[in-house]
Amino acid sequence: MTEILELVDLDQLRKEVREKYREVAADPTGTYHFHTGRAHALRLGYPASPLDQLPDDACEAFAGVGNPFYWGGPKPGERVVDLGSGAGMDSFLAALWTGSKGSVIGVDMTPEMIDRSQTMSAKHGFENVEFRQGLIEELPVEDGWADVVISNGVINLCPDKIGVYREIFRILRPGGRMTVADICLERPVPEEALRDIDLWTG
Amino acid sequence: MIGGAGLVDVELANPIDTFAGAGGEESAREFGTLGYSIRATKPR
Repeated sequence: MTEILELVDLDQLRKEVREKYREVAADPTGTYHFHTGRAHALRLGYPASPLDQLPDDACEAFAGVGNPFYWGGPKPGERVVDLGSGAGMDSFLAALWTGSKGSVIGVDMTPEMIDRSQTMSAKHGFENVEFRQGLIEELPVEDGWADVVISNGVINLCPDKIGVYREIFRILRPGGRMTVADICLERPVPEEALRDIDLWTG
Repeated sequence: MIGGAGLVDVELANPIDTFAGAGGEESAREFGTLGYSIRATKPR
């Protein structure tokens, strides 16, 4: 992991990731190197219900890579943190599962995604969801707050993955669980590819 | 890596060809990239 951190310009990587997801926030139906939207979520195995309770505009900028709810959603009353919450679809789904006695915090580093998710939250009346701008390597969440941590397709964009997992450990209560989705590579990535920020973001 | 952070009962499941048909399919194929569901627990 130290080697990867030495190979990548972290500031430049974060800048380019923000630019990519700023585009998605502004134009969710555009063409990207990944799929977006409700149909993509269903293809990844998201449960049709409660996904069908979300309006289209709350789903159209979804850009996940797998299904963090493969083992089921959060339980009523639980506290959930969504790492790299993007446009907020997974946070909204978690809020439907937890109900009004639960709470959801979405964390994202891209201001335009925070704006979009907050707008959607207000528009559709999600009172138990809060979005905070921040890095998932330095989560703006207190120790032991969360029953569940979710994420989808974001940890792979962080060179300091062990740092992210340590943060997940820190914010989970004892006995709490992480259910995330992310990409895994079956073949080793050569050093020149690790240095290529275009490959990280596309 | 996940275990190194103190989490236990790590499980990977549900591999999916997440970039199939998308613009990133070619580079995903090059490195054998698949999407997975991953879970782990913080010990009590």
